[in-house]
Amino acid sequence: MFDFLEPLFFALFALGIIGAGAAVVLLRRITAQALLMALTFACMAGMFLLLGAETIALFQVLIYVGAITILILFGVMFTKQEERAYGLFFQKQAPLATGLAVIVALPVVILAFSFKDPATPSARGSDLIPLATSLFTDYAFPFEVASVLLLAALVGAIVLVKRDDQ
Amino acid sequence: MTVPLGAYIAVSAVLFFLGAAGVLVRRNAVVILMCVELMLNASNLALVAFARRAGQLGAGSGLDQRGSVFVVFVFVIAAAEVAVGLAIILAAYRNRPTVNVDDIHEMKG
Repeated sequence: MFDFLEPLFFALFALGIIGAGAAVVLLRRITAQALLMALTFACMAGMFLLLGAETIALFQVLIYVGAITILILFGVMFTKQEERAYGLFFQKQAPLATGLAVIVALPVVILAFSFKDPATPSARGSDLIPLATSLFTDYAFPFEVASVLLLAALVGAIVLVKRDDQ
Repeated sequence: MTVPLGAYIAVSAVLFFLGAAGVLVRRNAVVILMCVELMLNASNLALVAFARRAGQLGAGSGLDQRGSVFVVFVFVIAAAEVAVGLAIILAAYRNRPTVNVDDIHEMKG
């Protein structure tokens, strides 16, 4: 009865992702770009919900829509933004760049449209418990390594931004 | 009527190429960082879509959740990358008050 809902929401989220993503690349207003990036991430969270990955969607909202967007906005706030024309790279070599893009993109598009079968419907229930079980048993060591990486990033960010004269 | 897997992969590919084009074309370091985040997120969508196709998602599957676990690690990498990336941008901004990557060419040969 509600079978039309999945394609409907898929179209909505796909439009949001591609439209807002293109706006991030093309616009010249940095604050609007950061907020449209947040919209892209929010639509991506909707995609994860459609695919049955509720926990991933939760992390997406917490980390991307929340933390990373705020960090980027802080970066915008702390720097002077003057926007000028695009780099010269693609202005001189536009035909070459177009050819290269087609060569790279064509196999990807063909590959994408070769998956015609519907994604199998996921089992009922949350994916939190299987994900947590997998993460803390089979992937416990990579998890610990990731925590060390985050610590290193934390220390590195502080060291890089700290002023020397204090 | 369900959405085919290829549609998810196509959206993922389009977002990835948009991000790659942004990294190559834009000269503002903060915008480049945003485009890198878009590329990472596009890869997450492909990972989750393939994980669902393999039947990994959901409580009923006794399968290894490697698709979702990989996405979690991509989140970790993205968070670390944006923190260190912004710190580098701010450190470079202190030496030379610009975020335009064409103007930061001290190491150009």
